[in-house]
Amino acid sequence: MADSPPGISAAPKDDNLRHFDVTVAGPESSPYEGGIFKLELFLPEEYPMNPPKVRFLTKIYHPNIDKLGRICLDILKDKWSPALQIRTVLLSIQALLGAPNPDDPLANDVAQNWKENQSAAIAQAKEWTRQYAN
Amino acid sequence: MNVEDDSTSIPSKRSSPDLFFPVSDSEEEEDVITASGALAGPSSSAINPPSTATSSRANGQSGHNNRSKQSQEVFGSQNSDDIIALDDIKPSNGASPSKFKRTFSASPPIAGSSSPNGFEQGYLGEFVCEGWSLSKGKGYCSPGSKVIFERPKPKAQVEESRNSIRDTKGPARLVNGKVVGAKGKSIGGKQVTLGSMMSKKTTPVPPKKSNTKPVVDSIIRFRNDRGFVGRLSVQEAGFLTHLLDTGVIELSGHVIDCPQSLSTGSTILLNVKVFLARKAFENVEKKDERKEEGTFWQEQKETTEEEAMRKRKDALGALFSRIGVKPLRSNALLLAQKKNGAAVINETSLQHFSDSPKPKRSPSPSKGSNGTASEKGKGKASAANSDDDGDGDEDEDSGDEAEKLDERQMNEIDAIYAKAQQGDNRLEETDPPDTFLYTLRPYQKQALTWMSAREKGDESIRDNQSLHPLWEVYAFKKEHIEGQPIEIEDEDDFVDPSRKFYWNPYSGELSLTFPTSNTRAKGGILADAMGMGKTCMMASLIHTNIDADISSTPPPTAPEDEEPVSKRPKFKQVTLSNQWRATPTVPKPANVNLPRGTLVVCPVSLASQWHDELGKMSEKGTITSFMWYGNDRIDIDRLLSQEGKKKVDVIITSYGTLASEYQKWKKNKDKPTYEGGNLYDHDFLRIVLDEAHNIKNRTAQVSKACYELKGQRRWALTGTPIVNRLDDLYSLLHFLRLEPWGHYSFFRSFVTIPFLNQDPKALNVVQYILESCLLRREKTMRDKDGKLIVDLPPKTVDIQVLDFSRPERQIYKHLEDRAKRRFIQLDAEGRAMSNYTSILAMLMKLRQCVDHPLLVLGKSTEDDESTDRLLDADTGDEKNNLKDLIALYAGGAKSKVNDRGEEEEVDHAFAEKVLKELGEQETTPICDICSNEMFDEVLLPCYHRCCQDCIVNWIGTCEDQNKPALCPSCSKGPIKLSDLRSIQRKRKRVNPLTGTHEEGEAGVTIGKVNLVQSTKLRALVRKLDLMRQEDPEVKTLVFSQFTSFLDLIETTLTKEGIRWLRFDGSMSQAQRAATIDEFGKKIKEPLVLLISLKAGGVGLNLTMANHVFMMDTWWNEAIEQQAIDRVHRLGQNKHVHVTRYIIKGTVEKRIMKIQRSKTALVNASLSGGASKDKGASLADIKKIFGLDDDDSEDEVY
Repeated sequence: MADSPPGISAAPKDDNLRHFDVTVAGPESSPYEGGIFKLELFLPEEYPMNPPKVRFLTKIYHPNIDKLGRICLDILKDKWSPALQIRTVLLSIQALLGAPNPDDPLANDVAQNWKENQSAAIAQAKEWTRQYAN
Repeated sequence: MNVEDDSTSIPSKRSSPDLFFPVSDSEEEEDVITASGALAGPSSSAINPPSTATSSRANGQSGHNNRSKQSQEVFGSQNSDDIIALDDIKPSNGASPSKFKRTFSASPPIAGSSSPNGFEQGYLGEFVCEGWSLSKGKGYCSPGSKVIFERPKPKAQVEESRNSIRDTKGPARLVNGKVVGAKGKSIGGKQVTLGSMMSKKTTPVPPKKSNTKPVVDSIIRFRNDRGFVGRLSVQEAGFLTHLLDTGVIELSGHVIDCPQSLSTGSTILLNVKVFLARKAFENVEKKDERKEEGTFWQEQKETTEEEAMRKRKDALGALFSRIGVKPLRSNALLLAQKKNGAAVINETSLQHFSDSPKPKRSPSPSKGSNGTASEKGKGKASAANSDDDGDGDEDEDSGDEAEKLDERQMNEIDAIYAKAQQGDNRLEETDPPDTFLYTLRPYQKQALTWMSAREKGDESIRDNQSLHPLWEVYAFKKEHIEGQPIEIEDEDDFVDPSRKFYWNPYSGELSLTFPTSNTRAKGGILADAMGMGKTCMMASLIHTNIDADISSTPPPTAPEDEEPVSKRPKFKQVTLSNQWRATPTVPKPANVNLPRGTLVVCPVSLASQWHDELGKMSEKGTITSFMWYGNDRIDIDRLLSQEGKKKVDVIITSYGTLASEYQKWKKNKDKPTYEGGNLYDHDFLRIVLDEAHNIKNRTAQVSKACYELKGQRRWALTGTPIVNRLDDLYSLLHFLRLEPWGHYSFFRSFVTIPFLNQDPKALNVVQYILESCLLRREKTMRDKDGKLIVDLPPKTVDIQVLDFSRPERQIYKHLEDRAKRRFIQLDAEGRAMSNYTSILAMLMKLRQCVDHPLLVLGKSTEDDESTDRLLDADTGDEKNNLKDLIALYAGGAKSKVNDRGEEEEVDHAFAEKVLKELGEQETTPICDICSNEMFDEVLLPCYHRCCQDCIVNWIGTCEDQNKPALCPSCSKGPIKLSDLRSIQRKRKRVNPLTGTHEEGEAGVTIGKVNLVQSTKLRALVRKLDLMRQEDPEVKTLVFSQFTSFLDLIETTLTKEGIRWLRFDGSMSQAQRAATIDEFGKKIKEPLVLLISLKAGGVGLNLTMANHVFMMDTWWNEAIEQQAIDRVHRLGQNKHVHVTRYIIKGTVEKRIMKIQRSKTALVNASLSGGASKDKGASLADIKKIFGLDDDDSEDEVY
């Protein structure tokens, strides 16, 4: 996208213009800093009345993102507003990386770990970022 | 037919076989007469010209008399009693010279001229055939001896002939199993005997008018001066019998070879010379008379005369092929037929073409002529015949689906148009007289050439004009007379015209004069594509040929019993029969009563256009037109006979007026009080049917009304001579009185039925017909220099596929589901047929709903049963649901009415708060939801704004997901539809009536959201808005088939400040004219003309506009094309833009599909469900409801 915010890129696939290849850079001073995370984004037929579907392709250690890369983010669910755009959605996802919310978990084991031993969890996240998101 | 009858002759004369006896009782051999004798029997002499023999005696110098002389040579020296001397005929001829004279004078000139007085007989040719000896013995017959051929008498001849045998011949005896004549006495050694000639085949010949058909044998004996020698072989006798009996041919011959000693059944090889008697050529008139007597196309029964003609036709065909006579010139039709394998015109192949539905009872007389071809033709023939049999019943059925042309067939027709028009670009150009003010384009000048020629009957103007399609040219051969050197005839040689004769293998008619393809028709079909200026061309013709062309009027040869037309009109009933006779050949005793005036019949919407255009095109005082609405108590005759300033040259009327005048006239014309003065009492110089496809249904009143008009020259103008079935063309031809195609039975058996049988011949015939009487050019045609004949600006068609807004979709879905369910239910119960109309009504609702959901509520909710049935078909719940839904949708409008005062106040306060903020914005804001410029900006309670569509959609989505609809931007809410306020940005309002700008607040106004707008309507308004920015004076046509939708468009346009005019079927002629006039005026703002597709789809010239919007899809694509061509036609000089709106996923796409396949449902819908073939339509309905398998969305658009 031409007007992509820094650290975010999204490009539609050749075979399906509703299907985007997305990369999001891990926000600064977060365990994901330095990592480039790949996501896929799909605009359903009903978009913008219904939210886009977004999923992490890169393995990530995050309480709100599960093993399959699914994201727990309210604007992608019931808080969706048609005024939101791909750009804002991706910014929100980037922000989610900077502000994990273990109280509303999707990956329960990660959330558990995050709550009980935050530094270990952060270290794990850093490790995964180094390992998978480069 | 035994004897050709004349209407003036005594009918009973043919009924008695006794009359075949020669008058002289002294004849010993009364049972036979010579071939020429049969011709001149007392019975027939009353109406027939002198027999060959007699006249040749009287003026034997005649060049045609070879054969007579010959007969005299043969018999001249003999006076023996046992042959009929030619003199014997004399008394009978002498008895009625005055009568046959009268026959000639009484015959109509066209037909009568076919047998000029000089002609006596013509030598057709000879053939070699076998005869069977009926005698035995030596010396009765030897090679080279001449024989004459005879027919036994029809009745009682057996006994008599037995007597005669006894008398004339010696005892016969059996020798070696064969009967051998014992006596031979004459020079030539000839002998005759009579065997069991009655035993074999019998042919029904109808010699009487009564229906009883006496059995007549098909035996032809031949004899020499000694008596009978034998009989002709059955093969030849079969077809010769009828011809001999009716005096069409005369025979002579000689023996080529025979056994020295004859025995019964032994073969005698004969050379038979065939002559066409004068009588053969008189039949042409006969046939005409018969037609006039009223075997009109409704009556398909074969009359006695028809049967006789059929036999004669078959027999002549067989004879021609037997002799091997080849036409000097045939026509396209016949050639094509021959190419198809039916190389020989024999009974079977002719039967295929015959208009006589009766199965044949006669023994196959043509069997010998060409067995293989007969076999080939049989399958087709039987099919055609079975069809023919049902003809009478089907006559009223104009909706026979099978006759509908499918797409492929229409393409074929297009190709034929093209073929038939080849070479038309080489037509000469004719300049119209100076009184015609417009400048014609070259192709229009060509049309003028063609049309003038058609009116003058000049066929040569088109090189491909030729012989009447059904006729062939033959030439009489020069008879080889013994002792003279044989002349070798080269077929390519120029043939002396006096030796030519013409033969119609379909009807059996013969003629000596050149039969042109339009002996009766003056005029034709001008079928140029729409927008090529047909009106203009016709006007130029009116200018060019103002007066009745006296020279082209046939000379006055009225039969005595027919009053000259000049005396007739007022008080005499004009029957169909004298109609037929009178029209083109009306005798004109003096110039005073020459047919005058041109009658233009056109759709009511075009009447004033004709009037105006004629006025504009004509120099003042040259051509004056008069609009005739029927109610005026004006005597047409008097009107048209006015001179000077009051002179009227053209009367313009509408089809509707004509039809009602026709009714009136039909009712009154026979009353003694009837005073005439009706349109139908006037004999017009020219009748012009504009948009002539209005009469395509030949059983419709309006068509009949047109057929009955009296006029010398007849023109049909139409861009679509064949709308969707070949019979459409028939009606035009019938109006034109184009022979013979204007006869239904002919057209049916030559065109319709072969076509249905997929016989390519049919298309050849169509091509032939079109070539002869139709001129068609298309805009894409090029002139001889390769330039487009019409240089129209380009046209682009933009099909806009739109998506329903949410509420629309809901309502539509609801309706569709309901209709679908009901249909499935009806279908399952087998009641779909009986509820056909209500199914169509449901379809109609769906189509309306696509335009605008409010339409399904319509005016009719309360009182129209079918609407209610649709809306309330099921449970009460559902009814409420639907109405709630619609009420919700229309909520804005309703609440406005209900609690107006309060609402208005609130609105004002509301507006004040936001006005400042809104006013600051100069550009159209971007909608948060769709990220485009806002369209139909609405204000949410939180003062956020977005497109109306977007927010309505969002609210709907949230409702579906059972979550509150919050503002997309600030998440305040929940928002209800009724909370929305629409923002009207500044736009100058125009009063549609006064055209002045209304005073009003500039800037922004806030109002209720008008949810009533439909997707299509919004798209239209949006587009109009863009157009106005590009061209501030743009003129636009908006077509819809629903006037109720036009009403809604009106309201919206008014609100948007767009000036509009309206044109629909409810308007009077004057109003329509005023509207068109108004639309044409130059104003400095956009103007929209709202037109109902049905009222304004045809004829109107609206070239001042160059944008067309088709709001909905009509069943018939051609109609839509017509509508577009109001604009894309001559006179248009701008690029034409056509926009069609289609809503995705609705009946519209399926209608488009069906539209392209032009199937049954189209017809059913158009004819109000009266179609017979509902089965086919039901299949279509299934398609429409998406119940068939093939329901993909993509392929259509």
